[in-house]
Amino acid sequence: MRVRGLPVALGIGAAVFGAAAPLPVRAEAALPIVLHVADTPSDDGSSLTLTWTPDPGLLPESLAEDAATEVRIERRAVADTAAFARVGRVPFRDGAFQDSGLEPRTAYVYRLALAAGAGDTLRSAAAAPATPRENLFRTQRVNALVITLLMTALVVGFILAAKRGVSLYIRRISGLDAIDEAVGRATEMGRKILYVPGIISVNEPQTLASLGILGYVAKLTARYGTELEVPNIDPLTMAAAREIVKEAYLEAGAPESFREASVHYLTADQFAYAAAVNGIMVRDKPAANFLIGWFAAESLLLSETGQSIGAIQIAGTAQVTQLPFFVAACDYTMLGEELFAASAYLSQDPLILGSIKGQDMMKAAILAVIVLGAILATAGVHGFADWFAAL
Amino acid sequence: MKRQIPILLAIGASLYPVVAFFVPTRGVTRFNQTLDEWMVIIASFALLLGIVSMIQVNLAKVRRRTSGWPFGLIVLVAFAIMAAFGVFGRQGARPDGGLYPFTWVFQFGFSPLQSTMFSVLAFYVASASYRAFRVRNVEATLLLIGALIIMIGRIPLGEMIHPVVPDVAEWIMKFPNTAAQRGVIIGAALGAAAMSIRVMVGIERPYLGKS
Amino acid sequence: MHWAKQLLLVDRRIIFLLVFLGALIPIIRPIGLGVQISPPVEAVFDAVERLRPGDAILLSFDYGPSDGPELDPMANAILRHCHKKGVKVVGISLFPLGGVDMGIARLNELATELQAQDGTDWVNLGYKDGGQAAMKAMGEDIAAVFPTDVNGVAYRDLPLTRDIRAYRDMKLAISLATSVLGEWWINLVNAQFGIPVAVGTTAVSAPRYYAYMEAQQAIGVIGGMKGASEYEELVERAYPELKGLSRTATMGMDVQSIVHVIIIFFILFGNLMFLLTRRVKEA
Repeated sequence: MRVRGLPVALGIGAAVFGAAAPLPVRAEAALPIVLHVADTPSDDGSSLTLTWTPDPGLLPESLAEDAATEVRIERRAVADTAAFARVGRVPFRDGAFQDSGLEPRTAYVYRLALAAGAGDTLRSAAAAPATPRENLFRTQRVNALVITLLMTALVVGFILAAKRGVSLYIRRISGLDAIDEAVGRATEMGRKILYVPGIISVNEPQTLASLGILGYVAKLTARYGTELEVPNIDPLTMAAAREIVKEAYLEAGAPESFREASVHYLTADQFAYAAAVNGIMVRDKPAANFLIGWFAAESLLLSETGQSIGAIQIAGTAQVTQLPFFVAACDYTMLGEELFAASAYLSQDPLILGSIKGQDMMKAAILAVIVLGAILATAGVHGFADWFAAL
Repeated sequence: MKRQIPILLAIGASLYPVVAFFVPTRGVTRFNQTLDEWMVIIASFALLLGIVSMIQVNLAKVRRRTSGWPFGLIVLVAFAIMAAFGVFGRQGARPDGGLYPFTWVFQFGFSPLQSTMFSVLAFYVASASYRAFRVRNVEATLLLIGALIIMIGRIPLGEMIHPVVPDVAEWIMKFPNTAAQRGVIIGAALGAAAMSIRVMVGIERPYLGKS
Repeated sequence: MHWAKQLLLVDRRIIFLLVFLGALIPIIRPIGLGVQISPPVEAVFDAVERLRPGDAILLSFDYGPSDGPELDPMANAILRHCHKKGVKVVGISLFPLGGVDMGIARLNELATELQAQDGTDWVNLGYKDGGQAAMKAMGEDIAAVFPTDVNGVAYRDLPLTRDIRAYRDMKLAISLATSVLGEWWINLVNAQFGIPVAVGTTAVSAPRYYAYMEAQQAIGVIGGMKGASEYEELVERAYPELKGLSRTATMGMDVQSIVHVIIIFFILFGNLMFLLTRRVKEA
């Protein structure tokens, strides 16, 4: 008869009385832990979470606390008659393991195995079977849901207010005011306008915002008969830009002036694109450059070259790392959210103005939360900040 | 109908990932992944559009001998050569230790050109700094002082001047810089979110050519 | 025209020439300036130093050739550090334009230098399209995203990756990133899967990551060539037997120091001329 506890007790005794040898067990003995297996919350039903705590007094502390001691996780489906299979290995003192890739609504049973030295293994009894279940909501993201609903309510609320005729004010944005001046300058000088809509695809909000401004610029160039060139790094952006410019020329009553080749594709590579645009600037000497959208390191290459040819330059980006370069080299720079306010500012459409107001109110709410959170954290209350942190 | 269908598609496609962010069920997640895959496929097909546009524009340039037409010719020839190497050849190292032509051109042509373009930034930073950093007003002076401290503090010269200089530079990076960056990031994120809501509810429709 | 105003309008090519000479001379005659260590880089070093032999980290080559001068030295220093610690490296790339080639070049070069074994000490799983989608999918099953390594060997057949199913089986993720990829690692992978993330990035992008470090979403940042030289110094201090190996970033710091001095001189000079011009105008 195997007395499971005895070898462990002998081992503890040996440890207590100064024996330096590893736990004196037979080839396999019981691992004295409490093992609990439960469905992982807020998942797609393919995961179970194991937690274990050593039985106090029965497992040597040296084994339980040693960073190098690893435990093997073994699993078997309840309906399966096959042997347990190893599914993972983690430090014992982690106390937890998440097993994923499981079949939902299938019961599994687990046990742990620990190498105690000299080829000996301590193996726990199998825990009670557990079944992974699909959840309908990620509860740890309730904070994101609350914030999303709040922002949506504010934006939609102000849009509805604008629809009812409430007058909404947006402060001057000098970069947008200067668009007319830039187009006028190019028209007077008889030179073209170069519009660079950023280097990222049309799924990026900054590119969408840039295309909004492009529509306005295109309407002006159509009206005044100024040449417009829009070189693109992304084919999807090119396709969208082409439609926008075409539509703008149609609205301005000059559809015959639109040339498809004016909105064209250059290359997908960042620096090859910068080199090509620089080449256009140096050869064709546009009178006005618009550098609006998502930019990276090529921002200074483009803006400095534009500065060297004497063009009036209007830039706009939400990339904080590129703003300093644009501010240094361009005549007007739209900073961050000024870019996203452009479509509202230029069109003065009440619905879009309403969304800007909602966004501003959300920012006020965030400021209040930051101040409140800072005060509470200083007072030692961390739950408020922690609620925002969990995702 | 011609306008309604794209609007409905845009609203659906933009709302669905938001739902998928909160709902972990397999069906929802799977379709969300499918949407991501479709995006990759559409982008790949759109690349064809781009290539056609590039060829058309440069061919026209060469034919009409407009300003800079030799560069257009180089673009077309380089495109044809690399396309041939890529489609008909292999990539990586050859069994004899050499490189296949595609990789050779990438390693000894494309990579040095990329590095060179990036390096040009150093010269442009110098000329832009010389021109832009002027003590025109209080804010510009503060900006100038901060920039000088950071530039000196990030090189060994800073510590040679005084051991506290790198610490001051690090403090500026950790506190005023971080605070300013966070402010812009929060504002830009809100702007992007508001823009996305406008697209989601159909107010802003850039995909229809409507700004 | 007043001479100060003339100097204000100096041809930019003179500035370019002086910067060029400032970059060239230290390459021909190295100065050997010292390296001072900053906390963000030290944090990354300490995170790797705390790992145990056999632990695995994910190293993502998310940059292209243009960022090679800044990020290649970081990659070299990290790989040397991991090799000395006995830490296994799972190399991937999510950057489409050349990322996989940068990874291949670094890993092959260091394999020769350190006698490291492909498949045992490190693996290169290659490039995967999809960016965030790929990052998310690796949270469940890396083999589903990278079924083979760059040599076509199946993921489950590689000794190193046999027991690595997802992020939770690795101790650290380091992204050597250009553009927005580093932020995706922090916002998506660290936030959703909990694996500690460190980022190595260009000097221009580094300031952005301080916010993430303060919020403890990133454990550290290696910024630009300076950051790379600091990591090289830390590795050499901890493992003196590595002395003599190339320290590209440290050599580059001589150039950076001289060019910084030149730019500082031009800024101060330009402001002096500006103030003189203003004084003449007022007079």
